Amino acid sequence: MSVSRQKAITSSSTNKVWCVQRITEHLWVVPLAGGVASWEVVTRLNLFPGSHLPTFSTVLSIFFVSIQDPAFLLRIAHSFLTLLCGLALAFSIALPAAFVAGSKNRFDATLTPLVMLFGALPDLSFLPLLVLWFGAGNAAAITMATVAAFFPIYFTLREGTRNIPRELFEVTSVFKADGLSTFTKMVLPALSPYMFSGLRLAYDFDWEIIIAVEIATHMTGIGSFIQGTVSTGSTASGFAAILAIALVAIAVDRLFFRSLESWTRKWA
Amino acid sequence: MENHVELDNVTKFYQSQEKQLHALHEVTFDVDRGEFVCIVGPSGCGKSTLLKIIAGLDEPSSGEVRFKGRIVEEPQSKISMVFQAFGLFPWRTVLENVEYGLEMQKAPKNKRRDVSKQYLEMVGLSGYEHMYPKQLSGGMKQRVGIARALAVDPEVVLMDEAFSAIDEVTAEVLREEVTALHRETGKTFVLVTHNLSEALELADKVVVLSSRPAKVKKVLPVALERPRDRAHSNFIHMHTDILHLLKEELENTLLRRKLRNMDEVKALHDMEPEEKAK
Repeated sequence: MSVSRQKAITSSSTNKVWCVQRITEHLWVVPLAGGVASWEVVTRLNLFPGSHLPTFSTVLSIFFVSIQDPAFLLRIAHSFLTLLCGLALAFSIALPAAFVAGSKNRFDATLTPLVMLFGALPDLSFLPLLVLWFGAGNAAAITMATVAAFFPIYFTLREGTRNIPRELFEVTSVFKADGLSTFTKMVLPALSPYMFSGLRLAYDFDWEIIIAVEIATHMTGIGSFIQGTVSTGSTASGFAAILAIALVAIAVDRLFFRSLESWTRKWA
Repeated sequence: MENHVELDNVTKFYQSQEKQLHALHEVTFDVDRGEFVCIVGPSGCGKSTLLKIIAGLDEPSSGEVRFKGRIVEEPQSKISMVFQAFGLFPWRTVLENVEYGLEMQKAPKNKRRDVSKQYLEMVGLSGYEHMYPKQLSGGMKQRVGIARALAVDPEVVLMDEAFSAIDEVTAEVLREEVTALHRETGKTFVLVTHNLSEALELADKVVVLSSRPAKVKKVLPVALERPRDRAHSNFIHMHTDILHLLKEELENTLLRRKLRNMDEVKALHDMEPEEKAK
């Protein structure tokens, strides 16, 4: 076999591998499109009453109308901000707690059983009490989101702290790093892969919690909006809202989590 | 020559759940300025603990370490260290890792960069500045570790089993380079190792520790000609002498404690490949 022929074969086979990879990467489109198509067919055949399940095309057209409606966008923004506040609060409490528990066994023995105990309780069971104390408003919703986000962040960061090699602490001491720079230039970067998984889990939990809180307490937000569409029989708007939440989730994933992950992948 | 580092009756106890562990017992020896001292001893005897105490990372229970006549109570900016598992920050590039010590001393950015590049060149890593540690072999990682330790211009470089996590051929090359660095920089080096040949190849003086609690069993000046020749009869004689000292220690320990785990027996075997070869 001539060299050039061999080259041609290898390059065509790498090409093929590349194509297959590209296709498998986007294979998720197939079941999604299938689902949407069968949805459209089933609703067109009037197998379900339109007020229960609108056609996909109706949902899409209502979606494009809704996203031009400031009130609709504000509701989404409201829920999303509640979520961010909850995440931020949970993170700022969990980080020092998890770091202390992960590095000092004595604190871990005191703190972790307590965290476990509260973590084992269903978070939403506190909701009626929170509403009693704070009223059905932002305070209750943010507290709920904080509680729900705390556990995944705490446990991943505690695990992360335990996995920081002792030697790295010795390195910071030998080179006379002060407490602050040890924390910002050693502990935080070392924890970043764990932060990534903790925040991601917490983010998913919090969407569920916030929608549930809004539905249960009728407070402003996209959850109560969905609830409203069902009682007024305009389920297409409800589906449009769900679609909007999905798009926000995808955007956050791409813009925040992916970039954090790709930074971590570079060195980890 | 003056006493650069002095260890004066350094004793260390560890308290671990009701059990008190006696790690070091009245360890006393001096290190001269510019001297290369190797500390050898059986595995788990407390060599690394001793080095940490010299570094100011750990306190002795009694006795003291003096650096230029002053008691070491915390890490010193003129005492630097090379770590067994390299101790590199994986999220920093090679250059950023070497810059770390200078960064902590708040040196200006330009100076940091220039000095670090100079030391990277010295350890043969020019062109690797922007790689991450995970992209390097063990030997290259330790070169980064050595460059980082030297970049802060220390007077004393402490090395904790610095060649133990590296394959033997690379370690051999690295040892030659460290010998050259020692000669060129005139800095004081203290290496902890369980590898006798390594100690004899590098050291001006070998401190032999006993098994736990570690005491100084013997301090041996190494008057062998440099570059050291492992096949030279004097080298082999010294090697055999120290090996006997250590074997004696291990056998005593084995008899005394009837050890169930075989770690220390393994350590004994690790130390005599050259004897078997003969």
